[in-house]
Amino acid sequence: MMMATDALRAQVAAKWQESFTRLNQNEPGIVGLLNFSQAWNIARECIRPRGLDEPDHSALYDKSTFQASFELLNKCRRLPILLESFLEDMRKRFPVIKEEVERYTLEYERTADTSFILNLIFRLLQWYKRWLPMQELGATLHSAFVLSFQTQLFSALTPTFVRGFKELCASTLPSTDPETDGPAPNVEMWKAFETLGLLDRYENIIASVGYEHIEAHVVATCTGQWSVSMLGQLRKWMTDKVVPWMLLMYARNATSADDARAMLQNVGSRFDFHMAKTLCDLRTKEIFDIIIDYPDSSGALQDLKECLHRVDQRAFLVHTLRKANHKRLLHPGADTRLILSQYVATIKCLRLIDPPGVLLFKVADPVRRYLRGRLDTIRCIVSNLVGDDDSGDSLIDESEPIQPLQQSDLEDFTDPNWEPEPVDAGPDFRANKPSDVISTLVSIYDSKDLFVKELQVLLAQRLLAIADDNTEKVERERRNIEILKIRFGEAALQVCEVMLKDMTDSKRIDGHVQSQKTSIIHPTIISKHFWPILEATEIVMPGQFRTFQEEYTKEFSAFKPDKKLRWLPHLGTVKLELKLKDRTVEADVPPLEAAFIELFSQQDVWNMDELIAHVGSSVDRTAALKALLTWVDMGILKELTEKTFKLLEVAEIVAAGARAPRAVTNSAVELLSAPGVQQQQAEQMKVYWKFIEGMLTNLGSLSIDRIQTMLKLAPGYDQTIEQLGVFMEAARLEELVVVRDGMWKLTPK
Amino acid sequence: MEQVTSSLAPPRAPASSKSGPASSSQSGAGSVAKRLGNELMTLMMSSSPGISAFPKTDSNLFDWMGTIEGASGTVYAGLTFKLSIQFPPNYPYVAPTIKFETPCYHPNVDINTGTICLDILQDKWSAVYSVQTILISLQSLLGEPNNASPLNSDAAALWNNQDAFKVHLMRHYRPLKEDSA
Repeated sequence: MMMATDALRAQVAAKWQESFTRLNQNEPGIVGLLNFSQAWNIARECIRPRGLDEPDHSALYDKSTFQASFELLNKCRRLPILLESFLEDMRKRFPVIKEEVERYTLEYERTADTSFILNLIFRLLQWYKRWLPMQELGATLHSAFVLSFQTQLFSALTPTFVRGFKELCASTLPSTDPETDGPAPNVEMWKAFETLGLLDRYENIIASVGYEHIEAHVVATCTGQWSVSMLGQLRKWMTDKVVPWMLLMYARNATSADDARAMLQNVGSRFDFHMAKTLCDLRTKEIFDIIIDYPDSSGALQDLKECLHRVDQRAFLVHTLRKANHKRLLHPGADTRLILSQYVATIKCLRLIDPPGVLLFKVADPVRRYLRGRLDTIRCIVSNLVGDDDSGDSLIDESEPIQPLQQSDLEDFTDPNWEPEPVDAGPDFRANKPSDVISTLVSIYDSKDLFVKELQVLLAQRLLAIADDNTEKVERERRNIEILKIRFGEAALQVCEVMLKDMTDSKRIDGHVQSQKTSIIHPTIISKHFWPILEATEIVMPGQFRTFQEEYTKEFSAFKPDKKLRWLPHLGTVKLELKLKDRTVEADVPPLEAAFIELFSQQDVWNMDELIAHVGSSVDRTAALKALLTWVDMGILKELTEKTFKLLEVAEIVAAGARAPRAVTNSAVELLSAPGVQQQQAEQMKVYWKFIEGMLTNLGSLSIDRIQTMLKLAPGYDQTIEQLGVFMEAARLEELVVVRDGMWKLTPK
Repeated sequence: MEQVTSSLAPPRAPASSKSGPASSSQSGAGSVAKRLGNELMTLMMSSSPGISAFPKTDSNLFDWMGTIEGASGTVYAGLTFKLSIQFPPNYPYVAPTIKFETPCYHPNVDINTGTICLDILQDKWSAVYSVQTILISLQSLLGEPNNASPLNSDAAALWNNQDAFKVHLMRHYRPLKEDSA
């Protein structure tokens, strides 16, 4: 036990001696120790973290004294201890700084004035410089200080400070107003940022300030500006305004322009990418309206094309456009014509953006499917083909050459210019070579036969509507058909050819018949087998009209014995001159009107049912009433009671200022007769009502559109959806059906 | 002009028959569609109380929805049953497939699948029957079940106790939703 204590004592004594010797540095007595103690005090006092108002250490000691002390400590290998105690001192003093940070940020929070943040940063810089140990003390001490200072500083900075910092950075940005110059670059501030280590720590924030600035600028300058390409302008703006700003941050230390460029390259392309992305997003959002504005929006399309090269957002563009189409275009409220013209514009626009057509294919698919489901699509396209468009511009570009329809054929792999399908093409993507718009439209349907049929119907209507053997109009139709032959091929339009020939033949035959025996009727003679089925109402024309018809038929059979003439009087028009007691009235009217008024020459008062019986009783009551009301409107007939009409041989005496009261009586007549008309329609609709009842019983509630399409199952259904709507409304008034949210159903029992 | 326009439009019939199920020949499908069209017309114009049927869509004449109301005086009075009717491409030489869509508690009806056991829908089928005759037969089957060959033996056993039967019937009965179309 004692031995151990001795050994321990000896060990301690040896240690003590060693330490003493090191500190005393072989000086006699304890002189060395005293020297060391003094040097320690001087050194500590020198690097002690001071308050900003305390006198500097240089006031206390001159440089050489300090350096000597430092040397001494180094020799005694006591520098690490000094460093530790310095850092400890700093840690103890730091609350002063923290308190200042809090005070300034609080002030900022209160006033939202970034100058407080700026002042704070300069203040922090002062502290930093104050505490920074002298350069001579070596790199270790310096870096230890920086690390410790920054660590404690960052932990003291509050989220409010970060917000203020961001705002401060933003305030240094060039103004969005191109006229005024941005704030003068505050080089000091950026230096302070760097010294304090804020640049590295808040690099993201500073970059986001730049991004947000770019976004704001793009949105402000480019929204709705589609006529010219904005990209060049934006790039110039970036060079003029944003790059100088970035120089401050990212290339402060550049020694030459090349140096700066090298430093900026990375971050610069990031900013450029962001600009392109922002523009791309904006244009994608606007794409539907851009297409509407085409071709006035070609600038925007050019931009979009370039941006899409830089930013891969093709899928997003497709998605957005499909969504917009679905919401704004493909609904019952949109006119088929509108949908078609938007579709054509979409074709043109997307071909500009993406020549291979992958985008177009993806976007067009729902539109085409929707158009296929619309009943009047073909009619719209065809009427556009023949230039039968009263509503403004045509879908077809005048400049587009007329060429045969292109069938989507198999890929030609021997083509030296063949290219593989683009990577984002779907499996059913057809490499449709840029074909003309008409081919694309016709290809909505599987075959062109539908078009040809519709074309025949349309041509029939137009030919029959030509009055007074207007050769010019027939010639125009012929011209149209010639043009269409180029597209659809000669064979497809043969029927149309026959129809046109009928028109000229009619004229020739009529000429011949007239030369044999003059007649006042000039029929258009059409070949039954080549014309679309025409509505055959069997009006038997009474009186003189019948005589004319019979005489004409006789002459015709003499001229063409192998042919039989069947009259379709309801398709013609009659030019009449009515000689009444006191006046003569001239009128161009449909045959039924003419037939009725002819009957009034036999007796003055007629019941409507009798009138109908005289023209072959196949005339429906609505049509009859309408014909009679035409005469009532002209002041020739007068409705005595419901269904009874009287001829006004002498015009009714009307008071002075006659016009207005007459109009009133007129509408009164219409009002009175209105229920009658509706009743008649309801009678006619009785059959259809059975079908409606049937479908509503079995299928629950249906929309009016659905009812209309389902009624196609009823034979001979020919009402328009508007007429159906009136009818359903009447049924609702009779409490047969109820409607809610546009869905009709039977009144629950 | 409107009148002329619509009457000039090409007839729709080929379009509707085309979309029917695949059949031996175009003309065959056409004639079946025509027959179905006629049956529909007859059914709509005749006013047989409590029975009705209609194609589900205008494009497919081979798929119908039917409705039967229980005859008064039977336990089914006041209840409405929906049926699905599917015509084969070779109709009327083969019977249509008919199932109850509304759960129907009945000796000759499978409560789960809606399958019906009725001789004229199976071996006794004849081409002279029509949708209308089938529906009338089904309506009368409701009130007069064939308890000798039941699909639902529980129901057959319970038939003689009409009150208890009604309780079971109502427990299964669920009117189809309105928007079934």
